[in-house]
This record gives sequence, C-alpha cells and structure tokens, in this order.
Amino acid sequence: MTAMRRALNVEWAGLAAAALIGAAVLSLLSANFLTEFNIYVMLRSASVGLLVAYAQMICLGVGQMNLAVGALGGLVAVLFGGMLEVFHFPIALAVLAAVAIGVLGGLTNGLLTVRTGINGFIITLATASAFTGINFGMTKAVPFYKMPPDLVAFGDQHIGAFPYLLAAPLVLAALLALFLFRMVPGRRLLAVGGNSHAAALSGISPGGMIVLAHAISGALAAVAAVLAVAQLGSAQPLIGGDWLLMSFAAPIIGGTALGGGDVSIVGTGFAVLVIALIQNGMVVAKVDPYWVQFLLGALVLAAVGLNRWRAVRMRGR
Amino acid sequence: MTDDAVRISPLRRFRLGGASAQLSLLVIVVALWVVFSIKSSGFLSSFNLFALGRSLAVDVVIGFSQMVVLATGGMNLAVGSIGVCAVMFGGTLMQTMGLPVPIAFALAILLGGALGWLNGFAIVRTGVSSFVITLASANLYSGAMLILTRAVPLNQLPPEVGAFGRLRIAGIVSPFLVIAAVLGVALFVLYRYSVLGRYFLAAGANPRAAAMSGVPVQRAVVTSHILSGVLAAVAGLMVVARVGAAMPAVGGEDWLLPSFLGPVVGGTLLSGGVVSVFGSFLGAGLVTTIRSGLLVMGIGNFWLQLFLGLVLLGAVLIERYRAVRIERRPFPPR
Amino acid sequence: MDLAIDSVGKTFPSVRALDDVSFAIKGGEIHALMGENGAGKSTLIKIITGLHRPDSGRLLLDGRPIDFASPRDALAAGIGAVHQERNLVPRFSVGENILLEHPPTRYGLIDAPEIERRARPFLDMLDAKIDVRAEVGTLSVAQMQIVEIAKALSLDTRILLLDEPTASVTDHEAAALFVVLRRLRDRGVAIVFVSHKLEEVFAIADRVTVLRDGKVAGRGEPIGSLTRGRLVSLMIGRDERVAAIGERRIDFSRIELELKSVDTSFGHRDVSFALHRGEILGLYGLVGAGRSELAHAILGMGAIEGGELLVRGAPVKIRDMHEALEKFRIGYVSEDRKEEGLILSHSVRTNIAVTIWRRIAGALGLIAPRAETAAVMPLIERLAVRASSLDQAVRTLSGGNQQKVSIAKWLAAATDILIIDEPTVGIDIKTKVQLHELIAEITREGISVLLISSDMAEMITLADRILVMHGFRIVGAVDNDHNYDTTSKAIMTRIHSVDMAE
Repeated sequence: MTAMRRALNVEWAGLAAAALIGAAVLSLLSANFLTEFNIYVMLRSASVGLLVAYAQMICLGVGQMNLAVGALGGLVAVLFGGMLEVFHFPIALAVLAAVAIGVLGGLTNGLLTVRTGINGFIITLATASAFTGINFGMTKAVPFYKMPPDLVAFGDQHIGAFPYLLAAPLVLAALLALFLFRMVPGRRLLAVGGNSHAAALSGISPGGMIVLAHAISGALAAVAAVLAVAQLGSAQPLIGGDWLLMSFAAPIIGGTALGGGDVSIVGTGFAVLVIALIQNGMVVAKVDPYWVQFLLGALVLAAVGLNRWRAVRMRGR
Repeated sequence: MTDDAVRISPLRRFRLGGASAQLSLLVIVVALWVVFSIKSSGFLSSFNLFALGRSLAVDVVIGFSQMVVLATGGMNLAVGSIGVCAVMFGGTLMQTMGLPVPIAFALAILLGGALGWLNGFAIVRTGVSSFVITLASANLYSGAMLILTRAVPLNQLPPEVGAFGRLRIAGIVSPFLVIAAVLGVALFVLYRYSVLGRYFLAAGANPRAAAMSGVPVQRAVVTSHILSGVLAAVAGLMVVARVGAAMPAVGGEDWLLPSFLGPVVGGTLLSGGVVSVFGSFLGAGLVTTIRSGLLVMGIGNFWLQLFLGLVLLGAVLIERYRAVRIERRPFPPR
Repeated sequence: MDLAIDSVGKTFPSVRALDDVSFAIKGGEIHALMGENGAGKSTLIKIITGLHRPDSGRLLLDGRPIDFASPRDALAAGIGAVHQERNLVPRFSVGENILLEHPPTRYGLIDAPEIERRARPFLDMLDAKIDVRAEVGTLSVAQMQIVEIAKALSLDTRILLLDEPTASVTDHEAAALFVVLRRLRDRGVAIVFVSHKLEEVFAIADRVTVLRDGKVAGRGEPIGSLTRGRLVSLMIGRDERVAAIGERRIDFSRIELELKSVDTSFGHRDVSFALHRGEILGLYGLVGAGRSELAHAILGMGAIEGGELLVRGAPVKIRDMHEALEKFRIGYVSEDRKEEGLILSHSVRTNIAVTIWRRIAGALGLIAPRAETAAVMPLIERLAVRASSLDQAVRTLSGGNQQKVSIAKWLAAATDILIIDEPTVGIDIKTKVQLHELIAEITREGISVLLISSDMAEMITLADRILVMHGFRIVGAVDNDHNYDTTSKAIMTRIHSVDMAE
C-alpha cells in the first residue's frame, strides 16, 4: 500500500539526518544543549509549531492555501482566555469550545471559498484580516493574564524531557496520518487535491472536501492556540501573529506539495523539529537569535532545491 | 483571400466593461468621504487631509510593488522585507556613514532593486514558484537585516528627512502623494503604451504562448521583480520620512495584506495578465479612507482589520458577480 | 448493451453543433466515430457521457430512453469514457484509483490487501502487466490509459468511449491498446473509438460513423465496405483532391536553414536537411515521430547535442524563441493553437502585434496605438480575419479565425524562415484552402517554409520536397510530384520499411 511504502520513503530521511546532525553539532557547541531541561524547552516550543504546520498542511493537501491559520489561532486564543478569565469556564469546556470556534472559523473559510468560487488565497487573506480585526477589536490588544493555575501547570509539566504539551500534537499527528492514509474521507480529501476532476467523477465532492480540510485546519489551529496559551500562561492577542510564514515553511521543507494531493506528516514533523532545533540552538549556543529567520529562509530554499533535484533525477530514470 | 468583406473596425473600442469596476470603486470612496465628513468636521480638516494623503501614498506604492509582480503572474511575499531592508540601509548610510540624504536614498532604492533582482533571478533560474521563493527570501532578507542592524532603530537622521515628511504643498498635499501619483502615471504609461509593459502582461496571461511568440518572458519576470523591489524601497523611504527615523519594525508582514488589498480590490488579477493602475490607487484609497474614517467615527483602530477583510471580500464578490453576468451575455453575432 | 442515438440535435448560441444525428452503437463492436474538427464529435461525446443534454432527440439504452443529468448518471448507466486528459489521482496507487469510488474497508479503515485483490482482476482482464500497487504518477501515458479502462470495467461499463486514445502514445503502445480493445469487444463491450487517423480506424474498427458539419455523413458503415477514398470523401464532402497552388520558384542557390547530422536531447539522431529560399519543405510523420520536437530543438527549446545547425550558411546556437525571432528571423506557428499559439485572454490586436512591438516602438520604448493599428490592419485584411473589432478577445473567435491570428503575427514579423506546425488541424475546409493559398503566397515573397503536417493531402498539395520522419530519424526524402497516389505511397513505404526492418 502506498502509505506503507511512503513510511519507508527516502523523502524525509534527509530531514531526519539534518535533525540528527544539527543536534550533534549543537551538543558539541554547548554543554547545555543536551540537558534534559533544554530538550524539554525545545520540545515544548515545537508543540505549537507542529499543530500550526499540520493546520496548513491539510489545506495544502486538498490543494488550498490558508492564510488565516495565525489569525484564527489568535482569535481562538483570546476567546479561550476570555472564557476562562471572564466567564470562569471549566478548562475542559473552554478547550472544547475553543476547538468548536476553530472549526467554525475553518468552516467559514471553506464555505466562502467553495460557495463564491473565489481563490482561497484571497478568501483567507480577507478572513485573516477579519479574524485579527475581531481579535483586536474585542481585546483592545490587552491580554488575559489570569489563566487557571491548572492550565499553566499543564503547560509546564513534563516527564523527563517530554513535556505534557507535546502529547497533543503527537496524538493528533497519528490521528491525522490514520485519517489521511487509511480512512475514506481522508483519502477523498487527498484525491481532490491530487486531481479534483477525477475525484468528482468518482462521486467525491471537491467542495465538500475543501470545507472538510478547512474545518480540520481550524480545529488544529485552535488546539495550537490553546497550547500556546498554556505555554505562555496568558492569552495574548498577538498569538498567531508569526504563524503564517512558519505554517508554510515547515510543510514545504517537509516535502508537502504546494499543488495538492501530496502530504508528508513525518516530513512536516521533522521540519518543525529542525526549525525548533535552530531556534533553540541559537539561544543555547549563544548565537545571535536573529539568525533564526535567516536560516528559516535558507532551509526553505534548500528543501525546495533538494526536491527539484530529486524530481529531475527521477525523470531521468 | 478577399472573398469576404472584412467587417473589422480599426478604431479602438473604449473598454467600458473593465473601467466600470474602477468607476464603482471611485463612487464608493467618494460616498464614504461624504459620510465621514458629515459625521465629523475634522475629517476634511487640512491636517487630516494632509495625513490621509501621506498615508495613502505609502499604501499606494506598497500596492504598486505587489501589482507589478501580479501582472507577470507571480507574487512577492518579500515586499515588506525589501522595504525594511531599504529603510535600515538608508538609515545606516545617513546616520552611521554620514552620507548626504539624496545619495543615501538613491542607494537604498538601488538595494531594493538588487534584492528584487535576486528574487527574480532565483525564480527563473530554479523554476520554483514565486510564492515559495519570496517566502524564503522574505525570511532571508529580514533575517539578514536583523543580524546586521541588531534591530537598533536609527533616530539620529539628518533633519531634512523628517522635514520632507512634514512638508505641505498648498496646505493639504503631501509631496508623497505627488510621488505616488507620478509613479502611478509612469506605471500607467508603462502598461498601456510601452513594449516592456506589454511583455509583462503577455508573460502574465500565458507565459508559454508569450515565450513562443518571442517575448523574453524570463527577462520580463526578473524585471518585474526588480521594479517591485524598487517600489518597495520607495515605500519604505516614505515611511522613514514620515516618521523621521529608520525603524526595523517597518514593513515586514505588516505590508503583506495592504500589498494585495489595493491591487486586488482595484481589479488587478491574482492570476496575472491584467492590471489596473488606477484601480490599485483607488483600492489603496478605499483602505486609507476606511482607516481614517474609523478613527474619526471613534470606532478605534482596533476594528480596522475586520473592515479591511470585509472590504476585500466585498470587492472580490462584486467582481465575481459581474464576471458571471458578462459571461452570461449572448455571444456577439459575427 | 446497445446505445441508439436518435435524431439528436444541439445548438449553442451561434453554432448548430449537431443536427438530427442518428446512428446505433452495438455491443461486441468497435465503432469508430470520425469527422473533421468542428464536425460535432466532441459535442456528441459530451452528450453521450452526460456532460450536456441534447436540445432535441434522445438517447436510447437497450431501447429505453435515457436522460443524463450529469456524467455520473452516464457512468451509473454503464457508459464509461477515457478522455484526452488523464482522470487519475497521481499519488494514489493503481488499485486505489480503480476503486476510487468505493474503496473496501475493514473496521472503518482502508483495506489495502483487499484493494489489490479486487482491482487486479480488472487489470488481468486486459492482460495488462501493471503493478496494482504502483503509484499512478510513475506510469507512462499509455499505461495510465489502461488503468482508466480497467477503472471503467470495474464500474461495469458496457459502452466504452475512447477519445483520441493514441494521441500521445507510441505506435507500439497503440498496438498494445488495440489488443486490449479487441479483447474487450470480444467480451461484448461496445466500444466507441473517436479518431481522426484513417490508418488506425482501418486497423481496429468494425464500423464507422462519420460526422460532417454536425450531420451524419456516413452511418455505421461496415469497415469492409469502405475504401480510404470513400471515407475521406465522407469526412470532407469531396474527393481527396490535391489543390493546385500555382507557379513558384525556389532559389536553390540560397540555403536558409540547414541541419547537418544533428542529434538532439529529444532523441533525434543524424538529422540532415537543407531548406532553400522560397521552398516549402515538408516534414511528414505520424504522431510520435518527433517532428515538433525537432522544431523545438531548432528553436532552442531543447539541446542540439551533435552535428551543426546553420542559418544562412553560418553555424549558430539558438538559445530561445526570442533569439530565433530577433536575431535569426525564424518564426514558429505552433501546433497547439490554444496554449502556445495564442494568448486567449488578450485581444486580436495584441496577439498579432506581439512579434513586432519592438519594431514599431518609438523613443523610450513607447508604442503609439495608431502605429500598432496600422501595422495590424493589413494582416487582418490579407488573412480575412473575421472579428468585431481589434480589441475582441481571441478566445471568442472561431477556430479558423484563431489560427489566422496565430499565423498573422508571424507574417507581421516578416521572418525569413517560418516553421509551420500542423496549420489546419480542426479548421473548416474553407479556411484550410485559404491558409494553403497563403502559405504558397508567402513563399513567392521569399519566405522559406518548413511545413510539419500529418495530413497527407495537405503535404502533397503544398510541399516541394517531403522529408519522412519516423522514430526521431529521417527515414527518407521524397520529391513531390503532387500526385496523391504515387507520393503518398512513396512516403508510407519509407515508414513501413523502417517498421519491417525493426
């Protein structure tokens, strides 16, 4: 089965190698790198990034671009914070509500795209702006600082180097893999991304799959927002503000095709890990943190270049 | 070959269909001005008009920067990055190296063009989409800028810089607006009357067919990115003059939305091959008007983004509706 | 299963696409559907496959009238199609593509072994040596078509429609496809084979229906009762006649374009020929022979790896079309009018003037609209282009007028050499004749033409000499005596002798 073969595929092996080499180099550069605490810090910051990347990845899988990932995340974050601080929701309820809001936001994106027939790029550009507007309009840029101690504790707790926070993205990644590679709706989603006309002829509704992808994307962005709030200990309106470029960079580096129908969960995961390594490594090795952005751009180029080179080689066979 | 009477009219038909989009935009902007000036007497004050004009000019040029790349069928996610690089470069030249303002500005604009050239070169050389390349370069350029400047704002610039920003012509017109208008006219002439402009539009509409017709498509794409970089730099320098300092917070992702908003609302196609210079101007005008109006109505800046998003949605929906109606019209009899 | 087309008519805003079309498709037969482009074939296909509804008349499936609201209705009724564009998901396996509509599941999860088990029989039915687990994106075009046929079988297709299935496959693959089709026919499937290639139709079809100008010209004729000449006359309404194009003079002392033992990155080997001033040099071959690719290689869209390319006696390396036009005065009328020959969204004016903007520009690279108009109008008149204004979008012109615009831009450029690739595919007869006369005319003015065509009659009408290309090599050169029988025979012999030698 294609999925099985892809698990053993060489495509993300390069990334895995990069991660290992990077970790090795960093551990040499600084004794602080391989400490349990540092790995914990790194994995904690990667937790949010993973979900952000997957939120974009699933849209890419159906052949769409979602510019509203960060904006929706920010909106969910402040609403989540508001529910906790102002309305004193129990945490579990607030989380559920947050995810529901995320799904709603995603549905808005999906339905607008499908019903109007307008390019998803423009639609999500508009909704991103709208979500941000609602976010800042309501909060006046003031964060919610009084988060329940249980939530903040969850954001801090860990077993050894493994932060509790990481459990969510790992579980969701596994579910996503199951969904996209072994379940009918997920396969339909990827079929639409791969060849929407062929999918339509086989009774799959491209519009329906686009809406589904956006809904899942919204849910993932919402979970990312919740995790971000837990991690920060406060619900900041600025959450999500820097997610946009990241959300594209990780899937691209991880081998997800921009055109649709071709996603790599493992690849995206490793890409996030490499990026987290860079971010963390810069701090630990006392390198100028401004190098992170620069390296991110370089990574995207390298990944794309590698993919091209590999494609050219395959064609020559 | 001459058996059929040829019924072609050699006269250029005035394309009312395309112009009506811009016309309706103009009407909306004027209507909003009327509403806002009624709501608040301060709206039409000379200061407000001046500030509006200044702000509009910057948004217009940012929009132009994106528009010229949209024209050739690509997009430039590095508009903000190039802008901030030009800002900090210019600021460094003026403050740290003491170069005279005109030279510093000229060199900063050159940098913008060079960074744009890098983008274009990478795109045509690698064949990778402009989305990915400029996504990467946005990070590369911003990152490099941060590394080199350590994110330190430069506010000891020569006083002429800030003075230029405060200059008023006839009490209400900012020279920025004049610059934006001149650029607009130049771009209009470019696309309507020049060879290069037609090459741009042909390359954007169908790069394959354009190449097969002898259009130097790759050269056109690179040139459009150079132009985009230059315009981004100009916009950045305008902000420097307005603020009186070179700040690393300028540009960046903040410019992403406005760069698309103006052109798309104004009728420039995301897919390429069609531009409207006047429409981009009006689109930016709509944005600026709403921003100022919200302020004036006391709704506050925080809700601005929501309105902008709705405006963008509304504009594309209207355009869609009209396109569908045009297509439904009966095929013209031959 | 039988399908009867009963007095079907379809009209679009300004065109009567189908007019009282009736014929019968029977199970266990391969029924060829032929006609020039514009004859109504593609409209008919769209009606049969459920994309359009007829304005008049009806379809009868085994005697029962049917009404399809969508392509899925047609599929459900047992009508499947293999179109010219691929309808497969590239990253999915062959098996998953075949069972795309109803993948088997176990406990809610996709059951991969079951996919293999269920999909393989359909491949076996076609005796196809394709791995059911292979990713479709890695297959060749011919293999993908077989997968699509297997998919149609899995949907219990009893009437299979194939639209120009051998358009982008090699002869070898086409032959393999025919074996598959015969096997299907013997199982009772009704096969509708749409093609414009006479040789293939004679090779595979049991019956032929010919459409001409939206009407039936030949109804379900048994192939045995037809000669080539009769079939062609059904398609074009007159005997295959070679037009006389009048006196022309070739200046043999001047060689405009020459290839000496050229190898290309496309696979051409040892290609040599010389094009003289005022000559029409034909390059004939079947699909897949490598003719367009040779043109592309000459124009810089591929690498010339061996031998020499000379323009007016001087060895050159042409980098791209821009250089070919500006520096070497070579033009290329592409065979793909819609994607390469024209910018459909732009106006007639733009499409014609694109090659001469540089020339008519004044100071600062600015173009006066009047100059553009003045440059374009003479060509409109000369080619009799019918459009309502110069600013009309080319997309809205008829096929013939579109082709005229596509050619006009090269005439505007006044190139010395013009490579013309399949100039009259999908063009109505009248325009075809006009274009032939035009090609002859421009050579009288000194332009040298390399004519690529798979239309034998066109080639014999126009060319002075005919190069025969097969398998990316020149297998022969024939002097054209403008006699259809002798020259066509000479050409086909060259092609077949290569086949037989292999």
